[in-house]
Amino acid sequence: MEFPAALFPSYFGAGPPQEEGGPAPVAGWGEHGQVLEGGPGRRQVQPAFVPRRGAMGERWEAADAAAVPVLLPSAGCWIPSPAPQDILYRSGLYGKLRAGKSGATLDFAKQLGHFFVDHPEDAFGSLGHLLHKNFYLGNSKLKVIVSRNSTIRMTALVEDIDRLEARRGCPRQHLASRLRWFSHLCRDWLFEVPLGVLADCLHEELMQQWSNLLFDDSLTGGALAWLPPEDGGTDVGCLVHPGGQAMNHLYFQDVVLEELPRTRGSPAQFELNGRIQQVAAARVDGQDFVGVRSDYHCGVWRVPGKRGAAPTALQVICTDVPACCLTVSPHLPGELSVCTQSGTVYLWNVETGLQQLRHDPQTMFFRDHSPWRWSDFTAHPRVLSCADRTGLQCLDARAPKRCHFDLFKVGEEAGCQQGERVVLPMYLGRAHPSQYLVTTQFSMYVLDERLPLVPVLKWAHMMKAPPLFAHLMPEKPGRSHKVLLGASRTQELLLLQYRDSFWGVSSGGSQSACQLAGTPQKLHSIAGCLQHLPTQLPHRHHLLQQRLTAPAAGLAATLQEDGPHKSMLIFQLSEAGDVFCQRLTHKAVQLPAPPLRDEATTAPGSSPLFEAPASSPQGLGTAALQYRRWLRALSRACREPPQHTWTPGLSQRRLFTRRDLEGPAGPSTLQREMRQRLRQAMAEGGRIQHWEPLALQPPPLPQTLELAGGLDTLSARLTAAWAGDWEQWWEERTSFSVAQRQRALRERRRRQKRAQGRRSLSASFTSSLTYQSELSELSDTGPSLLSPGCPPILSQEGSPPAGSPPVRSPATSAAPDETLLSSQSLRCRGIPKERRKTLRDYLSVWAEGPPEPPEPPGSQASQLCIPSSQSQLSSASQPRRKRPRMGF
Amino acid sequence: SSNEHKLNFKKSKDACLSYIQDALLQKQWKRAAEFLTCYVESLDKDYSREHIGPSEMIWRIGTEILWHHSQSSMKEFNCFMEQMKTLGVKRYLKVCLEHVFHLLCNGQIDEAYQNLSLAESWRFGEQTAIQDKEMKLIQAYRGLLDYYSWAKQKNILFENSEDGFSDLAVEQEMHGYFRKAAVNLKEIIKVPGVWDIFVKCYVDLLEFYGDHNEARQVLNEYAYNSKFPANPNAHVYLYQFLKRQGESKKSLISALKILHDIVPSHELMIDFNTMLQKSKKRKKRRLGLEVIFAALDYAGWKENAKAWSCLARQVKQIVISEKHLDWIKQEWNSRKDWWPAFHFSRYLAKRNWQENKSLSYGKALVAGILLGKGCKYFKYVSHQGCKAQLKRFRMLKKFVNRHNPVYLRISG
Repeated sequence: MEFPAALFPSYFGAGPPQEEGGPAPVAGWGEHGQVLEGGPGRRQVQPAFVPRRGAMGERWEAADAAAVPVLLPSAGCWIPSPAPQDILYRSGLYGKLRAGKSGATLDFAKQLGHFFVDHPEDAFGSLGHLLHKNFYLGNSKLKVIVSRNSTIRMTALVEDIDRLEARRGCPRQHLASRLRWFSHLCRDWLFEVPLGVLADCLHEELMQQWSNLLFDDSLTGGALAWLPPEDGGTDVGCLVHPGGQAMNHLYFQDVVLEELPRTRGSPAQFELNGRIQQVAAARVDGQDFVGVRSDYHCGVWRVPGKRGAAPTALQVICTDVPACCLTVSPHLPGELSVCTQSGTVYLWNVETGLQQLRHDPQTMFFRDHSPWRWSDFTAHPRVLSCADRTGLQCLDARAPKRCHFDLFKVGEEAGCQQGERVVLPMYLGRAHPSQYLVTTQFSMYVLDERLPLVPVLKWAHMMKAPPLFAHLMPEKPGRSHKVLLGASRTQELLLLQYRDSFWGVSSGGSQSACQLAGTPQKLHSIAGCLQHLPTQLPHRHHLLQQRLTAPAAGLAATLQEDGPHKSMLIFQLSEAGDVFCQRLTHKAVQLPAPPLRDEATTAPGSSPLFEAPASSPQGLGTAALQYRRWLRALSRACREPPQHTWTPGLSQRRLFTRRDLEGPAGPSTLQREMRQRLRQAMAEGGRIQHWEPLALQPPPLPQTLELAGGLDTLSARLTAAWAGDWEQWWEERTSFSVAQRQRALRERRRRQKRAQGRRSLSASFTSSLTYQSELSELSDTGPSLLSPGCPPILSQEGSPPAGSPPVRSPATSAAPDETLLSSQSLRCRGIPKERRKTLRDYLSVWAEGPPEPPEPPGSQASQLCIPSSQSQLSSASQPRRKRPRMGF
Repeated sequence: SSNEHKLNFKKSKDACLSYIQDALLQKQWKRAAEFLTCYVESLDKDYSREHIGPSEMIWRIGTEILWHHSQSSMKEFNCFMEQMKTLGVKRYLKVCLEHVFHLLCNGQIDEAYQNLSLAESWRFGEQTAIQDKEMKLIQAYRGLLDYYSWAKQKNILFENSEDGFSDLAVEQEMHGYFRKAAVNLKEIIKVPGVWDIFVKCYVDLLEFYGDHNEARQVLNEYAYNSKFPANPNAHVYLYQFLKRQGESKKSLISALKILHDIVPSHELMIDFNTMLQKSKKRKKRRLGLEVIFAALDYAGWKENAKAWSCLARQVKQIVISEKHLDWIKQEWNSRKDWWPAFHFSRYLAKRNWQENKSLSYGKALVAGILLGKGCKYFKYVSHQGCKAQLKRFRMLKKFVNRHNPVYLRISG
């Protein structure tokens, strides 16, 4: 490649950057930078000038209104990485006090508390076991018994802690003296891990998490790669991406390039030993080499040029310190470069192994704390670039100590700003063998290694987050190359065009310098599709939003030429493992007045994605379809966190003795008798008025009437009206004085008490039941007495008409459960008093379980006929997992 | 309170700016323009202390919109720029310079010249370092435009003299342009930087008036001053100047030798190699071999047929003469572990054969000598060549077979 015969003029200074830094929101606009004589008109009388920035570029337009998912979400729910609110102190007052000084305050105490609660065994294991007999947490007063005199009551302490939690954020909070006393006493010996050591570790981890939230450089380079189809081959490329819940599965997915890319067949899959941070690929001699980096392992795969052939893993290396860079040589097969956070750079050849090129924990040009290093290849296969936050140097692998030169320096040489740092260097070899891209948080630079230190192109990219990903799409000579820059946290995507040379006049008709073409263009981010999706339920919307706004984790793209139509496909990977794709189409003609379709479609609220197709009906249709499939698969994958659907399966064996659980082998004589009668009554079409023996039958509870009949006055009134004596009903209703009602109530309560004496039901059960029925009755405005003419089903003690089914009262169906838990029944089973409450608590757990499917009416009928005798309660026919209807 | 007011104002200002930014990045120029009219209000209450103030933002955004807006005209643009110049004192020269660039790119050379002259006469208090640099650039660009006027007059004069006229006025004018251009161009090239066009124009002026010493001095300074960046073009200009001056081979070679040391992959290395090969000195021929080997190390030279034929010719010469085989051996030593995969793979043999026969001929010859007749690249190409019944490939096969022992000596 020829060196440009004339470069754009620029000053060259040395030393640290002079310009005061800071994010500048519009620094990249409205500037030509410099001009140079050029342009095609040689014969013109006047010289023609071309600008460094602002020259005409190609016109690319988004084909769809949003990015479209390529792959269906994988099974298993994605666990989002921590958000700032998870680790920051969240007290309004505290926040205000501290905001001015040090910015964010990490919520250290909460995290330590989480550790104690989540891992009590690790935190207090052995002493907890030793002490648990001596700590009493009950509410009742502790009686001083001789055998228990070493037990202390801790309830007050727990209450103090709770109160402390409630008073959090109060600037004048005083620690309860009891708490201070306790912490003083046991700080040194209570914890399994010494508190100081634990706190140090936790603090370190918190700081790490926080700095990752501010800027996570482990994703640099991106974990998505596109292996293009063979030259002149089919339209099938291969997408290499991570997946799985821990992002530790590597997939090689064949993708057919159509209007929208479509997956073909199932992917080749490899399970790796860590989270995949970076996937890098390069094509050498018609074969693709794919390097995969996780924190402590790097691996290399070879993918044969022909699609459909299986990728083969070639080699894996293991590092002591986390690796932070892996690049694949575009020159030699099976050659890669690896950097670790300890400042070591290796040249890794699959055949000859690792060669250490440099080991320097210090940064190159000035001191910077970041352990991040990067390395890439250059035009010379034996010369590697190596970078840290302060700049880039090139090393000759044949003599790395002696032969090196500075390629880029954060300083006045490149016109940098103060505080500027290198974020991502990339070799642009596929476009121009000696050019290099360097991005910082403020600008992007194109460098030519033949003219080191002086960027041949510089432009302030104005991105909100530093560009961690870049992708180059080279073009034929004379046309502009495309570069995509991608940020992680904000999911920004920027399309730039640059020409590595143009035809200059002043240079005697040879090639001239590098220039930026067209304006930068923002592309759809994954989160941008949210406004186009159909309306969701709020919690679904929240889930979807969380998923779609996950930080980006990779970027890949490809140019597609189909006769006169050119298009660009851009893939974006999110941390949740989703791969979204968007298509840009090339508009050949530079229209003087651009159509304003894009302005209309991007207005919030409109969603052309799911509405009438505008330009290409087929594509829009497929996009909408693809979305529907993706949404469906997502809701299937993340339906509910599993712990809610899963009913706890505790063993009951410890609670009951074998004898308790052992029911009678067959139905008792009574049961047999009852069944027989039932069958007989059913065969006759008759009814059973009294269960024999009468003594065992629980008298039907009086309140059932109120529950059934007193449900609403409207039905009573309608019934009366239907019977024809509505007037009478009204009379009764109005004349029914309060005194009468009270009398009736007293009378009923007396009856109940008498009934309780006979029945073996627990006192607590009945009392609570009556209490409730009273409430329901008093709240009712109308009387519950029924007219004589009302349907007989509602009558209770009175004899129902022949042929009607046996009365089913809702209250009685609950009876067996309650009896199971009543103190009496428990005592009868020989369960000691101390364990009764435990048992009740345990059983009340089921009350919070998911609603059980309604039982078939038959089973309820059979329950009804089972008397509350203890021997039969635990019989096999009884459903054991019954929820108590009322809490204890 | 006023503090709250400030805070709210800042918030809405930032929101407006983000809308503008969004519109610009999506090429929605009309929408951006509408928002910008609202943003102009921020000039009234400029409380910010950021290093890019609202006036600069408006200038930048407005310029960008006017470049692309379908209904903007050059007149409107000029009007906007004039307003922007009065808006910020600190950025006056920068805005002027950008205005000039835009005029130049639109072919309005005369207007650009006027603007440059106006900007040059601007004075405001003490100049900062940046303003000083900008002023120098303004002067340099004015010098450049003067140079173009000079060149135009020169052409007219030549045409006239061909016709037999001699126009004294035109000649006077031309000399006037020379003086103006020379003064300004001379100034800027003293400052460290990349000044390719300014240097070229200045040297052209000097050469026309026969001041070769000054020209040589300027070019030497530009190439060898350590404060300047290592610009390959500086060496190329010097080499071209020396060539024009008809300097000796020796000085040409020494100029190119330095270029080779800086940029071994420069395209002039082919000329350098041919020059060295012709030399009678052994040392120079040796250097020629080094130069061509070094050039072919680079990815950009991989498919350069000319370079491969240069290497093939030199290797062939050495093999036939059977002298200096150690030269090849030495060059090959540091490359034998990666050149076979880099240059001589079977995949490349296939592709080179399909795309460029003469390239594959040169490469096959080198591969056959360096790696022996068993080499994949050589085998594939010679086989294909013989199949296609091409005479030179049959000769090649014979040649390599005959000299196969050389391979053993080189690799041994």
